[in-house]
Amino acid sequence: MSTDIKELQDLIAREKNAEEEVRKAKEEAQAILKQARGKAEVALGAIESDPAWENLKHARNDEIARKKIEIQEEYKRKSSSLEKVAQQNLEKAIARLFEETLRGKL
Amino acid sequence: MQSEIERKAQEEASSILESARAEAERIVAEADAKAANLRDERTKALRGKIDAQEKAELAVARMDRKGNLLRVKSVWTNRVFEEVEKRVTKMAENGGREYNELLANLILEGISKMNGSKFIVETSPRDKEAVSNLLGIITERASKLKNDKVTLRPETLQTRTLGGAVVSTEDKVQYFNNTLEARLAAASQKLEGTIRQILFGPSDANE
Repeated sequence: MSTDIKELQDLIAREKNAEEEVRKAKEEAQAILKQARGKAEVALGAIESDPAWENLKHARNDEIARKKIEIQEEYKRKSSSLEKVAQQNLEKAIARLFEETLRGKL
Repeated sequence: MQSEIERKAQEEASSILESARAEAERIVAEADAKAANLRDERTKALRGKIDAQEKAELAVARMDRKGNLLRVKSVWTNRVFEEVEKRVTKMAENGGREYNELLANLILEGISKMNGSKFIVETSPRDKEAVSNLLGIITERASKLKNDKVTLRPETLQTRTLGGAVVSTEDKVQYFNNTLEARLAAASQKLEGTIRQILFGPSDANE
């Protein structure tokens, strides 16, 4: 009889151990999932703070500023060439208008 | 019996952990994929936004510069008008044969543009004497032009003028403004495009 009780107590203890093992596994599983969710959050959150956006904006703004300077230089050259041509042709234009102003049509 | 309990517990624990690891992998993979998609979308949106900004800013910069070029052209065109006005004024002020011939032609042109045979010729006080001297010749040429006997009445123009004349019929119903400023204004308007082409070249029309 005493042997039976001991065996029963042993069995109960083993069952308890088994339950404990399962409980620990469940806890560990929860921890694994929590860690995964944390990683997911970090991956998504990293988009917001990604310096690549700012770098891209800076690079493009620099490019736009450079193109604006190019346009400015291009039109500066055009303006200078225009002034030169106009200076060369000024007398011709004056003569043409002077002639037309004084030309009578009878 | 005892080892069976332990085995089953171990199996269950392993299964729980395996499922959790698989689920964790899925969560992270899903988040990574979502993050990659979001990153692509954002990059596209940002590029689109910056492209539009670039287009707008460069268009404004070009417009601004084109405006400057137009101002330069306008300055040179006005310089031509101003210089011609100066030269015309000088010519009229100096008088002389050349101007008297011009004055006669301007009066004759006015007469030729209107019906009738009796005209009033208004000129600046400065040109009064010249007109008196030219009256005979102008009347003769006008009579030939009209094939009729033309009479002219010289008068002084009430408004200030560089030179030339305002010719009107005797009843003042018709008149022809042939003052130098009127002619200069008409010629400037008529020749503005030509003057710009002479000044800046034929490609000016395309810019």
